[in-house]
Amino acid sequence: MMHPNETPKGGADLPWTEPLLLNISHLTRYTYEGHVRDSFNEARLQPMSDSLQQCREFQFKISPDSQIRDYPDFYANCVHYFDVPDPHESLEVQAISTVQTIPENRGPVPVTDPGSIASSTIKEQFFDFLQSSEFVSLDAVVWREAIDALPSGLKDIWSDTVSIGVHIHRNYKYTPQSTNVNTRAVEVVKKKEGVCQDFAHLMLGLLRTHGIPARYVSGYFLNKNRLPGEIEASHAWLEVYIPGYGWKGYDPTHCRETDTRYVKLAVGRDYTDIRPVGGTFRGKGTRKMVVEVTVDRVG
Amino acid sequence: MTELASFTAQKPITNRRDNPGMLSRVANSLYWMSRYIERSENIARLLDVNLQLMLDFSDLNDQQLKEHWVPILCSAGDEETFFKFYEKADSETVTEFLTFREENPNSIISCLFSARENARQVRDQISIEMFETLNECYLFLKSRNAREVWQTGAHDFYDQIKKYSHLFQGLTGSTYTRNEGYEFINLGKFLERADKTSRILDIKYHILLPSVAEVGGAVDAAQWQAILRSASALEAYRRFHVDDILPKKVAEFLIFSNTFPRSIVSCMRHLDEDLHRLSGKEQRQYKSAEERAFGKLLSDLKFMTIEEILNSGLHQFLQKVQAALDHLDDHIYQEYMYHPPVDLESEIFLQQQQMQQQ
Amino acid sequence: MLTDNYKTEDFFDEMFLEDGGIRPHYQKVAERFKLLDRSEYRRKQTAVDLAFMRGGVTFTVYNDDQGTERIFPFDLVPRVIPDSEWQRIEKGLIQRITALNLFLHDIYHEQKILKDRIIPPHYILGAKHFRREFMGFNVPKDIYIHICGTDLIRDRHGNYLVLEDNLRCPSGASYMLENRAALKRAFPDLYRSARVHPVDSYAAELRKLLQFVSPPTLGSSQPNVVLLTPGVFNSAYFEHSFLARQMGIPIVEGRDLVVRDAKVYMRTTSGLVPVDVIYRRIDDDFLDPTVFRSDSMLGVPGLVNAYRSGNVSLANSIGTGVADDKVVYYFVPQIIKYYLGEDPILQNVDTYLASENKDRMFILENLEKLVVKSANEAGGYGMLMGPWATQEEISTFREQILANPRNFIAQHPISLSRHPTWCNAEESGALEGRHVDLRPYILYGEKVSVTPGGLTRVALRKGSLVVNSSQGGGSKDTWVLNGDS
Repeated sequence: MMHPNETPKGGADLPWTEPLLLNISHLTRYTYEGHVRDSFNEARLQPMSDSLQQCREFQFKISPDSQIRDYPDFYANCVHYFDVPDPHESLEVQAISTVQTIPENRGPVPVTDPGSIASSTIKEQFFDFLQSSEFVSLDAVVWREAIDALPSGLKDIWSDTVSIGVHIHRNYKYTPQSTNVNTRAVEVVKKKEGVCQDFAHLMLGLLRTHGIPARYVSGYFLNKNRLPGEIEASHAWLEVYIPGYGWKGYDPTHCRETDTRYVKLAVGRDYTDIRPVGGTFRGKGTRKMVVEVTVDRVG
Repeated sequence: MTELASFTAQKPITNRRDNPGMLSRVANSLYWMSRYIERSENIARLLDVNLQLMLDFSDLNDQQLKEHWVPILCSAGDEETFFKFYEKADSETVTEFLTFREENPNSIISCLFSARENARQVRDQISIEMFETLNECYLFLKSRNAREVWQTGAHDFYDQIKKYSHLFQGLTGSTYTRNEGYEFINLGKFLERADKTSRILDIKYHILLPSVAEVGGAVDAAQWQAILRSASALEAYRRFHVDDILPKKVAEFLIFSNTFPRSIVSCMRHLDEDLHRLSGKEQRQYKSAEERAFGKLLSDLKFMTIEEILNSGLHQFLQKVQAALDHLDDHIYQEYMYHPPVDLESEIFLQQQQMQQQ
Repeated sequence: MLTDNYKTEDFFDEMFLEDGGIRPHYQKVAERFKLLDRSEYRRKQTAVDLAFMRGGVTFTVYNDDQGTERIFPFDLVPRVIPDSEWQRIEKGLIQRITALNLFLHDIYHEQKILKDRIIPPHYILGAKHFRREFMGFNVPKDIYIHICGTDLIRDRHGNYLVLEDNLRCPSGASYMLENRAALKRAFPDLYRSARVHPVDSYAAELRKLLQFVSPPTLGSSQPNVVLLTPGVFNSAYFEHSFLARQMGIPIVEGRDLVVRDAKVYMRTTSGLVPVDVIYRRIDDDFLDPTVFRSDSMLGVPGLVNAYRSGNVSLANSIGTGVADDKVVYYFVPQIIKYYLGEDPILQNVDTYLASENKDRMFILENLEKLVVKSANEAGGYGMLMGPWATQEEISTFREQILANPRNFIAQHPISLSRHPTWCNAEESGALEGRHVDLRPYILYGEKVSVTPGGLTRVALRKGSLVVNSSQGGGSKDTWVLNGDS
């Protein structure tokens, strides 16, 4: 699988260790059939702050103007909510942020025995990230693929995670428009193609089948191959939990661990928990939706 | 009004927590329940009278039949829809279309179905007797028995429909709480009644241009009598005008009579009173421009004469009245029920989701 | 006498002792019914049925577009409970709801009970009705369960046991009130002489409770309380409109409400009127298409976030369903101990959890002897009555349990107590024993009150243990005496 934005290299893509200051703009524009009203929405567009990134500035703009409130959800993502009651023909939601990414300082991931995730404590603590979810059902199809990806079973959590990633990289094709926003993991296994959202769901299915707690991550990454003016979308990857180390990010689309190029927006069980923008409205329907993401390095 | 313009009539936010008033949806249902029942009664009477009229003229040819029934069809239903189902317009086809045809939204069965649906929505507002009457009437219409009764004796059939309507309206008068809902029920009833009276009078306009020879003849007199009967006005008219049925007098009676409760002016007066009760305004004060315009028309009517109307054209006058009633119906909707309207099934949409693509 | 051939058989009978004598608190009832002959009994029953039909005290069964209205069959013989017994029941129910309210607050905040390993977290996280959207929510007066209907049964020895708690949208209170009115009309002298605790304060108490939990932002203004119903086509609509009328509050559907700027309003002829408290009879799933099921036409878009902003109160609040999950039921004694430091006054029925290995083995080996229930079904559905089931039903359940053990519990069948009930078998008619349960209603407001009595449900079919209305059940009036006889 070759990502269109990646130049093929002989060796693996080494993780970036340089801290980056990134300006991000994420614009979503809906144009409707005629006028719509009573639009109620939630957005998960604010980058989080943790040991690997700090959100320095954040602006949330809506047109038409509306009061914006927020709350932390079950996975501690910041959710903004707003409504637009009056008739309008289009809705624009824009999140502008400046994020400082921080290099990994925990050292490399140590070898970790699979026994450490078999304990009931882990199973309980990370219950949500070990079960079937809306998009990722741990059924026979996914199970078989998980066995194929790791025929001799789990030996070391992180290196096995990477192996699964390589398996996906070898057997699946990055094909935009081959799937849609509602595609489930089991369909991806059958189709053998998709985009980052699908690979994230797929890999979550394989990891969870093997008992590795893994969560879906939505966010952005700095694409050094982006042409000036090229518009992008948001990105999806995942994190696995390694006892004694913590959560570690892996990007199945690019077959690499995450690094300072990556900015996290939200985490959850799958796409349903991190929808960038969602909600309902009354009217005849959406004529068009445009998403424009730009991620630029500052300085 | 364009769609957008009507949206911007945003409803005020009131603070009447302690006396919230009636739900718009409930007011809407009561209004339409009432209108549909009145409508079905009027159609029943119209068909009954005209069928009886036909008995006196058994040797009419197709063209004459058509000339008789098409105006009735126009006043009560939809000519275009009719001709989708039937080839010619005669006593049987037109009455069937206006009585049993479910595809005709203005057939008796459709009206009663809609009335019952609306009543069901507001079941806890109306008395048990009111609902049961409506329910019985509807079940009667749906039964096989109804068709048989209609075929063997149409008069009995239509009489039954009228009886149900009278019973319902009587029960409403005696059991319905005198709250805001009562005003909406009355608005529906009187608006429909005024409209129907004007249309009944207008039928004769279409038949009103007979050949000179027929004027004053037996056919003519019978037709004017049928007009009065259709408005349930024959006896009342006779009490008023001891002499013959004269077209001018009939028109005057049905438009202006203060004593006859189904006359256009009587109905309009009721409407004016109900509007005032709803708005809480004093007499001669109005809540909105539309209500004021209606009040002015009523006022103008008080000083109009039948001669003026006939000179400028009866048909034009009746059209003006119907337009005014239409505006009033629209206004009632905008003022009290429009928030905007909610048809959730066809209306709520999910915001389109954005796929994570990179 | 109508009870000439009455047999208690092997069951605890509410009215009769084993030797055929009458329990003291049934003395007056027995005497009155002794004077009745069959035709008089039938006359009274018919009068009551007619009154119910005319009054619309019905529930609707929708087989076709029309919908048939059925009366929830009402049996004339009242169930009587002496005061001393009731005191204990009342204490036990108050203890239970208090603990469950504390439990819900904890589950949706710090989850201490999970951290302290009292309940394995996966039971909560895996619960169908655990609403993650509700995490961290603050509710007025910290009350989650405002109205609860707890089902009680009695075993062979007459011990009261809790069968289940219903704390999402418990129904039946309207029948409780109508049954009382009917019995007063049918037997006015008996009622007067028996000195029964009245139940008609229910509506007033409920209204007070709803006003009590109005949003703090309202200050001292009188709140606008409404009842939110799925609409006229819901089978329980009678109860919704009945209660709304009794409380004097508007009854609204989702489409009558609109959210503006995180506040809820109702659409009236005079404009948009603010709504402060919603007594909702719609399940969480259908409450708000923006947050829960997006295909729900019954809900109000934006309602959950208005609730979150503190501008409106809901009774019962969102997310209470996790506490009436039958698996969580298993842990209620521990919940009471954890939050109140007390032993439960009312016992649970002994329960086996299919997700626990040892229990599961036992269940699978004994399916023909046990009653197996789905964790989240109601109305008697999703249930296997082992001793009465066919081989096919048993193997279907075996598969289901193996596929999803978390979803099942099992109990030994309890010989529910029986009560003399009119049975119209053959030409004659007589009073025979039929199984009953009891659903008292608990209101949790400024104070916790239990309406004396509640709804006694009776399984009308001979030998049947299923009391639900949709499956051949009926009801009786329940009398708590002012004293013991």
